[in-house]
Amino acid sequence: MRTRREFLTTTMTAAGAALTPRWAHAAPKAITVVRESSFIKPFDDYFAKTLALEYEKLTGIKIVYEAVSVGGMLTRLTTIAETKAGPEIVGTNLNWPWLFDQSLVDVSDLATEIGKKIGPWHDNIFDAVVVNKKWKALPWGNIGQLEVYRTDWFKEAGVTKFPDTWEDLLAAGRLLKKKGHPFGFELGHGFGDNHGWLYPLLWSHGGREVDRDGKTVLIDSDETAKAVDFCRRFFKETMLEDVLGWTDVNNNKAYFGEQISCTNNASSILVVAKRDFPEIASVTDHSLNPQGPKGRFHIMQAASHAVMTHAPDHAAAKAFLRWLYDDKQLSRWLTAGEAYYAPFLTAYDNHPMWNTEPRYLPYKESLKTTRLHGWPGPPSHAMSESVAKYVLVDMFAKACQGESTKNVIATAAAQLKQIYKAK
Amino acid sequence: MAVGPASVVGPARLAGRTTRRRGVLEREGVFSWLMLAPGVAFLLAFVAYPFFYGISLSLQDRRVASPGVFVGLANFVTLAQDPIFWQVTRNTFVYTTVATLLKILGGLAMALVINQHFRGRNLARAFLLLPFIVPTVLSTVAWMWILDPTFSVINWTLRHTGLVTQTFSWLGNATLAMVSIIVVNTWRGVPFYGITLLAGLQTISPDLYEAAAIDGASLTQRFWYITLPVLKPVLIIVTMFSVIFTFSDFQLPYVLTHGGPANATHLFATWAFDIGMSAGQLGMGAAVALAMLPALSLLIVALTLYLRRE
Repeated sequence: MRTRREFLTTTMTAAGAALTPRWAHAAPKAITVVRESSFIKPFDDYFAKTLALEYEKLTGIKIVYEAVSVGGMLTRLTTIAETKAGPEIVGTNLNWPWLFDQSLVDVSDLATEIGKKIGPWHDNIFDAVVVNKKWKALPWGNIGQLEVYRTDWFKEAGVTKFPDTWEDLLAAGRLLKKKGHPFGFELGHGFGDNHGWLYPLLWSHGGREVDRDGKTVLIDSDETAKAVDFCRRFFKETMLEDVLGWTDVNNNKAYFGEQISCTNNASSILVVAKRDFPEIASVTDHSLNPQGPKGRFHIMQAASHAVMTHAPDHAAAKAFLRWLYDDKQLSRWLTAGEAYYAPFLTAYDNHPMWNTEPRYLPYKESLKTTRLHGWPGPPSHAMSESVAKYVLVDMFAKACQGESTKNVIATAAAQLKQIYKAK
Repeated sequence: MAVGPASVVGPARLAGRTTRRRGVLEREGVFSWLMLAPGVAFLLAFVAYPFFYGISLSLQDRRVASPGVFVGLANFVTLAQDPIFWQVTRNTFVYTTVATLLKILGGLAMALVINQHFRGRNLARAFLLLPFIVPTVLSTVAWMWILDPTFSVINWTLRHTGLVTQTFSWLGNATLAMVSIIVVNTWRGVPFYGITLLAGLQTISPDLYEAAAIDGASLTQRFWYITLPVLKPVLIIVTMFSVIFTFSDFQLPYVLTHGGPANATHLFATWAFDIGMSAGQLGMGAAVALAMLPALSLLIVALTLYLRRE
């Protein structure tokens, strides 16, 4: 008995010793990448059917692509981070690298390398992905939220050039509504098309939610009051009442249903129009957000990749990203995306992808004035809470429903003070 | 050569063990626990554990992907000071109360109708069950189109029949949005009441109605003095269950309005999800979800007491 036990112990120890180092150093057979599915199908297809196969052929590592429905990625990421299991590489957006900081691998080395080759990076991206001086995600492009409008109806109303200021847009909207072509800007609980114009509207009037210290709530100001008053007039004089209940699909449906003449959206609206509604596509154009008394702003939605700390082989995951962000691959991939993603890499400012459709150019131009939700406050958990509670959206929406400017600002201020734990 | 212990066990000893095992299994206490074990394990794993984990989370300042810090009841105190919390509470009670009343009335009417003998009764029963069978998200997406300002079949009908000149913003107007989600919930929930109450109706002996008719009882009197008293136990139980489901409804308002406009249709479940998952405040999200507990506990206690009395 003793001999047999000794024999088993020795054999198992030897087998373990022989196998363990191989497990530790062997390349993984597969790496899973999870991202929110793109509105631009060829972009996803190019990744899954071309790039993933190329990488597998090159290295023998299979790239498994998991697409999450639009709006569902944050929930998926929360589950992955909480269970410390699942895909090794994840898609991030907004200020998520800050939220999941402890679950994400430092990719500063890769970011520096990529920046040297096809950069430098645009300065404003640092706010979104650099956490405590460490890059926690690698952005591949911004999903811009700009003005989308019907050129034929604008001309019919006598507006030959898209208005440059909010006041001029209001004047144009009045004319268009009279002609039966109202505007449709989302004021409901969606996830992108509401913040896409309401934060820029606030900022362009000089209003801010919170100061850069993340403690001083600034929403209760004359500048905010001016933005709220403008929004109320803009809503009443140019829009449909329904926009108060819209989520992100509604403005697209209304635009394609020829019910609205102008909205704030990503360029996907034109991409889809070209595919399914060519007549509408031929009379659709984009423009930067109008400017207000204190400038012109756009929202930042930096689509990025991050490596999860639970990934068994960080080096392998990083190696894949190094390969993907190489100009040979990234250039082709972004071209497949029909300029939907405006890269934060300056070498791509004159990329051929911008030449195929000049109407997408404002999305590139908007990069200079993009800011994260809650700017100039830090991209903290509090910022996410404010966004998730729709503090700003509801402040404007309640004003449009008829509440006084003073009341809606006071409610928002009270909420923000609680969220930012301000005194 | 070493010899394993099993090989020395003789047939007599094996037979003895089997008999003893059978004897133990035949004891009622042991056997009933064995039968209960899978169910208990399931409840412990999927009900008790998440419930107590939820309580533990609600007492922490727990951000997503970060360790929690015990804060006692601070999350609940914060909630109590948040006007949106009280708006959500009000919304949830209005939604539950009105939808439940409508479902009781609708379900009772449906049960009474499909309990009658008419041609195509089985087909009618099958069709009436459809709203309950179709997945909520799917049917809610259909309702999104029905209530869509641009493509709404309701607005189209109202306008084309000349009943209105100005169409309604079903999901954009705060009051109409609440009315809309109540109507959709009622549409979905009525078959549950209908089919359950129908089962109750079919237990009523026709002799009772015949005797009442002979005594000169009117149709209304037969309903009040025979149908309703017999149905009462079923009605109470089905209402209790329905209230619990309606109170914690998530899919329908989330898909249809996402709590908008301006929080007018946010319920506990949708708000808890936004705070927990979208804002990454897991502790606070759990506290919102647990805020439903007192009202639901009262219902469960009432249901238990009623069942014991019966």
